[in-house]
Amino acid sequence: MSKKLKKTREKRGKQLVLSIVFLVLGFMLAFSYRTVGSKQQMLNLEQTNLFQQEEQYRADLIEQQERNKELTNELLEKQKKVHSFEQDFSDKEKNHAVLVEKARDLRLLLGDIPSKGAGIKVTLEDADYDPSIQNPNDYIVHESHVLRVINELKIAGAQGMTINGQRINSNSYIKCTGPVIMVDGRTFPAPFIIEAVGDPKVLLPALHLKGSVIDGLLRDNIVVTLEEMKEVQLPAIRDEV
Amino acid sequence: MWLPLLGLLLGVSLGLLSDIQIPQVYNNYLTIAILAAFDTLFGGIRAYLQQVYDDRIFVSGFFFNILLAAALAFIGVHLGVDLYLAAVFAFGVRLFQNIAVIRRILLAKWTGRNKNSDTNT
Repeated sequence: MSKKLKKTREKRGKQLVLSIVFLVLGFMLAFSYRTVGSKQQMLNLEQTNLFQQEEQYRADLIEQQERNKELTNELLEKQKKVHSFEQDFSDKEKNHAVLVEKARDLRLLLGDIPSKGAGIKVTLEDADYDPSIQNPNDYIVHESHVLRVINELKIAGAQGMTINGQRINSNSYIKCTGPVIMVDGRTFPAPFIIEAVGDPKVLLPALHLKGSVIDGLLRDNIVVTLEEMKEVQLPAIRDEV
Repeated sequence: MWLPLLGLLLGVSLGLLSDIQIPQVYNNYLTIAILAAFDTLFGGIRAYLQQVYDDRIFVSGFFFNILLAAALAFIGVHLGVDLYLAAVFAFGVRLFQNIAVIRRILLAKWTGRNKNSDTNT
């Protein structure tokens, strides 16, 4: 009986040891399987991730390149625009210069502001008293003489004129008031100095034309002095009447 | 008889369910340990079939071989020599030998039984 018990116990001990061995074996197998399997899976996952990332980057790159292309095209277009603007601008500047010139000329004509330029100076003086002439009107300067000079100068292209320092423009009037003349409400005695801005090479010959102003003035016994001026100063027109 | 099987099942479930992670460098040790375990297991089976089975030899061989294999691999890694290849080779050869012996014994038994049954009938 006891022998049988002992045998059973022995057998049970063996079984216990065996079961421990198998436990260890099973554990190791399962653990190895799980570790390696998961590693593989992780590796696969990583690879997939990397692949996807690469794909993503590629797509991004393509997108960026397309955008770059678009932007380059846009840039070219803009540059063309800028170029055309510049062209326009330079054209306008040219025009502008012409306009400025024109404005200057017009201002000269208007006489709103003081100005200066090359021109001529005409002095009309009364003739010396001559007892043989009874009528003093025959040897003093009349407003008509002044007018003729001024008109001739205007026709010849004078751009601005003064009479004894009084600026005149297209609205100015010249009136005879006895021995003096009135220009725009101010009276001036002889001698009358007419200064005009304009090309002297045109103005002087215009005055000297045969049968023209100078001849007429000389016939009326008026002392005429002509002078070419490098620079004529013109004051602004005075509007006070 | 059921106790070892239960142990195996428990071990497998433990291994599958445990959440321990080991670094990849130690994978080699694990593999070689498994190889050693298999070798010892088949060695035990062969010994049992040859009726020279001894509990103590089997159990001590089982654990000692595992540890030895792991240690060999460890030393190999640290020396820069692939010593675990030696273990793999040795255990692999022995594994095949053991299995071959088991096959022969089983074959011989089967043929013997067949003969017996033939004579019986």
